[in-house]
Amino acid sequence: MAQPRIRHATKEDSQHVADLMVRLKRLNSEFDPLFMVVEDARERALDYVSASLDSPKVLLLVATQEAKVTGFLRAEIRERVFYKPHLEGHITDMYVLPEFRRKQLGHDILERCSSELAKMGAEIISADLPSRNEIGVHFYMKRGYRRLTETLTHLPQ
Amino acid sequence: MSSGAPLDPESEKALAYSKFYGGKVGTAPKVPVRSLQDFSVWYTPGVAAVSLAVQADPELSFEYTGRWNTVAVVSDGSRVLGLGNIGPEGSLPVMEGKALIYNYLGGVNAFALPIRVDGAEQLISVVKAMEPSLGGVNLEDIESPKCFEVLDRLRAEMSIPVWHDDQQGTAGVSLAALYGALELTERTIEGTRIVLFGSGAANIATARLLMEAGADPRKVVMVDKKGILYPERDDIDQLFVKNRWKYDLALKTNGDRLKGGLADALKGSDALIAAAGVGPNLVKKEEVAGMNRRSIAFFMANPVPEMLPSDALAAGVEVVATGRSDYPNQVNNSLLFPAIFRGALDVRARTITDSMVIAAAKELARHAKDKGLSAQHILPTMEEWEVYPQVASAVGDTAVREGQARKSVTKDELLHTAMEMIGRARKTMDALRSGGVIVEPPE
Repeated sequence: MAQPRIRHATKEDSQHVADLMVRLKRLNSEFDPLFMVVEDARERALDYVSASLDSPKVLLLVATQEAKVTGFLRAEIRERVFYKPHLEGHITDMYVLPEFRRKQLGHDILERCSSELAKMGAEIISADLPSRNEIGVHFYMKRGYRRLTETLTHLPQ
Repeated sequence: MSSGAPLDPESEKALAYSKFYGGKVGTAPKVPVRSLQDFSVWYTPGVAAVSLAVQADPELSFEYTGRWNTVAVVSDGSRVLGLGNIGPEGSLPVMEGKALIYNYLGGVNAFALPIRVDGAEQLISVVKAMEPSLGGVNLEDIESPKCFEVLDRLRAEMSIPVWHDDQQGTAGVSLAALYGALELTERTIEGTRIVLFGSGAANIATARLLMEAGADPRKVVMVDKKGILYPERDDIDQLFVKNRWKYDLALKTNGDRLKGGLADALKGSDALIAAAGVGPNLVKKEEVAGMNRRSIAFFMANPVPEMLPSDALAAGVEVVATGRSDYPNQVNNSLLFPAIFRGALDVRARTITDSMVIAAAKELARHAKDKGLSAQHILPTMEEWEVYPQVASAVGDTAVREGQARKSVTKDELLHTAMEMIGRARKTMDALRSGGVIVEPPE
């Protein structure tokens, strides 16, 4: 089997990335009912991917294997108005198809992301994921990430 | 019974007899009490010397007390038979029955111990706390996937054998039946395409054991209510979160990445192991008709198998087995667990490994072969009581060779001990009955 390749996403990848984006959001829904996925998630994902491809502040990477998109990562540059370092690369979405997990692919995507975000000026990198996704949290912590902020959520009665 | 439906004769008897006897098992002395003076040895003050010796070396608890032959049959009552979550009290009659089988067929001093616990962590904690009193633990009727977490953790964290019969027992006896059927149909386990229909505790454990025994994961296909299991199925991430054992199998099995339903899985397969739910039409003739020639099918659901054996045979299946005693080839856990524990206890084993279960399955299959394999005889029956000591000695011997035994004994010694222990259990029953201690049930 050919080695996976990690590259910038293109418009030709949009459908595949949208599929994986919906899979990611459905995975998130397993952790908390407040991540319940909307019915038109696929259409929204396509719009979201398209907007991401057009934005100079967004990094969209795909992993491919024999022309199949096996994973993706989306990150964006954010300004930290009151803090130093000033520019933050924030990973909003990352997903690897089950069959390609446990093969270092997630690690390789994250490594590539780090170097690309550095080129975009990011001095620190953060990641966003459901707090109950212990496997995801472990994935980042194993690679030197630590908890910095807590997002507290309330559903008014 | 709340439904008001008429009871079958077995159920009527079970209710009447249970009330008559007030339970199925109890403790009995092992030592003589010739006069009350004997209690100064069996109890205080003499017993203090024994306690101090055991305190100095806790391993002596396997020699100076009944720990070495004691097994707790533990359940939280969360998935009892086909009745669902009926609670610990509801599970007690079932656990007592299991303890009785251990006693009669294995010579094991087993007792029922349903417990009221909240979740896997508390169950694990309670069972671990009981370790000093026990030679082994039989987990029973615990819902899936909680049972996987509980068994894996307890096997890793305790130094006595922990067994979940719904997983390991069913898997082991299925493997034994498969060995017999493979021999009869001139196949090897490595080259056989096996479909497992149903993905509860039994079939997940069976899939894991089959692969440990040499089955090629790429040739194993699992099918559940949603169809064939494969890595990109829509619900795989749900399994990733909620049932990592099934998720692992989704990644590991089905090398051809088959998709579709049971018929698609069975096309070109050699063997079917169905543990999917009460039949009789969960598996259809046209589905098994797509299997290779000289095919094998096990229908494990009770009381009604997923497909009636007559239908399977009419559709071309050569070897059929079920969980029922009124059809040929009963795949029954009771063939295995009393002997597994007999062997494990006799070497004071620290655990029951997959190799020990595989050795037991091979011994059962060998016994069936010695008596003559046929499409109606791929496994011994429970009446062939001589098979239990043989299986026990194979299990104990494997434990010794794997370094899991506290006590090193030869296979011949193990066979002798197992025959004596199991023989003694039968003699005890005969003596209790002939002496009028256990009276005949009411008419």
